[in-house]
Amino acid sequence: MKNFIDKVIVEPLREVVRNLVAFLPYLLTGIVVFAIGLGLAWLIKALVVKIFKLLKLDAACAHSGLADALKKMAVRDTPAKLIGRTFYWLVTFIFFILALKVMKVPVIDQLLEKFLLYLPNVFVALIILIIGWLLGNFLGRAALIASVNAGVRLSSQLSKGVKGLIMLFAFVMAFEQLGIGRSTVIAAFTIALGGIVLALALAFGLGGKDLARGFLEKRFKKNGDGEPDELKHL
Amino acid sequence: MTETAPDTAANSPDPSAGLDAVDILVGVPSFNNAKTIGHVVRAVEAGLTKYFPDRRSVLVNSDGGSTDGTADVVREASVDLDAVLLDHRVGGFRKLVTPYHGIPGKGSAFRTVFEIARQLGAKACAVVDADLRSITPEWIELLIKPVLEEGYDYVAPYYMRHKYDGTITNTIVYPLTRALYGKRIRQPIGGDFGFSGKLASFFLGKDVWESDVARFGIDIWMTTSAIANGFKICQAFLGAKIHDAKDPGADLSAMLHQVVGSVFGLMEEYAPTWRSVEGSEPVATFGFVYSVGLEPIHVNLEKMIEMFRMGVRDLDAFYNSFLPGDTLGFLRALAAQRDVKTFAYPDREWVRTVMSFALACHRKAVRREHIIKSLTPLYLGKVASFVIENWDCTADEVERRLEELCLAFEKGKGYLVERWDGEV
Repeated sequence: MKNFIDKVIVEPLREVVRNLVAFLPYLLTGIVVFAIGLGLAWLIKALVVKIFKLLKLDAACAHSGLADALKKMAVRDTPAKLIGRTFYWLVTFIFFILALKVMKVPVIDQLLEKFLLYLPNVFVALIILIIGWLLGNFLGRAALIASVNAGVRLSSQLSKGVKGLIMLFAFVMAFEQLGIGRSTVIAAFTIALGGIVLALALAFGLGGKDLARGFLEKRFKKNGDGEPDELKHL
Repeated sequence: MTETAPDTAANSPDPSAGLDAVDILVGVPSFNNAKTIGHVVRAVEAGLTKYFPDRRSVLVNSDGGSTDGTADVVREASVDLDAVLLDHRVGGFRKLVTPYHGIPGKGSAFRTVFEIARQLGAKACAVVDADLRSITPEWIELLIKPVLEEGYDYVAPYYMRHKYDGTITNTIVYPLTRALYGKRIRQPIGGDFGFSGKLASFFLGKDVWESDVARFGIDIWMTTSAIANGFKICQAFLGAKIHDAKDPGADLSAMLHQVVGSVFGLMEEYAPTWRSVEGSEPVATFGFVYSVGLEPIHVNLEKMIEMFRMGVRDLDAFYNSFLPGDTLGFLRALAAQRDVKTFAYPDREWVRTVMSFALACHRKAVRREHIIKSLTPLYLGKVASFVIENWDCTADEVERRLEELCLAFEKGKGYLVERWDGEV
């Protein structure tokens, strides 16, 4: 019976303790590395904030309207603090990875390896989303101004549509990059886009046939009802 | 009698090859102007022969690759001086047809004219548009004589126009240029100018020929550069300007972008100059000034006001990113007003609007093109207000009204100066 207890309980417990004891230095090293990382991250954050404050980044951003744009996106930090915070999390993340690495746990090593190999995809997807957001804003605004100047009544909706479509493209590309539901996302996107085009075609064809006729008449009839302005701007 | 220089310059790097030095050079930039350029060339020839018979002169047609035979029309155009002038001497008039190189645009055409003027040592030059229908020989006298005989460096044109014509000039370019640089040049973007050979060389030396100045905005660039660099300026009254419509379908916002963008761009370059200028002074005006009749013209006020309302409503968030709160509040209130007859965009608010747009472009808050193009609905609001206010006024009364607007710009300039470098 004693042999049985030794074999089933004591030996495995001893093994666990042995492993724990063997692992403890690595764990401690990991904790120390991470603690150093946290300290360093805090220092770097403080330094970066100070440098950017000295460079008057906040004033420049207020000047250019970027600070207002950040506020509108519910970002409460000043631009200098935001950059400092980004550096803080970057350094923290790097030291977290280092800490996991020095612990030398095979499973974590394998997970880490997979994660690190996947990381570029996340980075590229993030860049795609940022570019999509910037492009969507830019083209949405351009469409808004152009349609207002052309006297289009649904300018605001048109602008939102342009921005939404670009963001949709960006999301599809980002998901494809991440390999999430690749075929499903593309199929859903194709169906959605096809649906939108069909809906628009039906809406214009059926609902707006009189409007379309009126538009074409105005556009191509030389002596239409509305006399053109004789006022010369230049 | 006309001698036409052989068109050897067409593909030559030295377009003036084979020509002797001249006293007067008249440039005519062109692009597919076969219908009208013949009249312009004849008027120039008659003007040079009548008013400057003892001077050696050349007409330079700087062409942008016309395919309608413009160059042939220039070569063949000649005036029967016996029929036009009672008494004349044979002058040394030459013609030169040359293509211009570089970025397509009026600015590049002018650059070629300046280059030839420098090579030929021209003392006085003029440039006139190739689509003019109302040019007379007197235009050449009025543009050249102040330079040749009075020592002026730059002669801006002054046309008599319908009270509702040139609204971009009247509501933005003239009052703003006058308030900034302190000279009352009534038509800063007229299109036809006189200038000295010295000024042509100065223009040529500026590093702008690969920029937008080469494409568009050469007119305001020349006027502003001449004023800001202390050249002796005057204006010449040329009478009515009748010319072929540039492009009937031209987009108003594109026009505003080109013209107002050029004025705002020059504000960056000449900030040290205009910041210290206070008030304005008249410039010498040559020619016999008279008014033209006022035929009624059709103006669609409702459409303009509707465009203004739509712009204020749909661009509210965009305006909010760079317009001051009180200006935006005023715009919202005006857009909410239903009665067309009482629709009024006061001068003070208009000045504040234009200056806020200039400041936004200076601070590069968002893309410059977007800022300027978003001025279109507000500009239409101001034009509608101007038309309503001056419905029963004569041309002279409208001129007095424009004088008040100019004074409002001069008075409101402090707002711009205070904020140009600061964060106010």
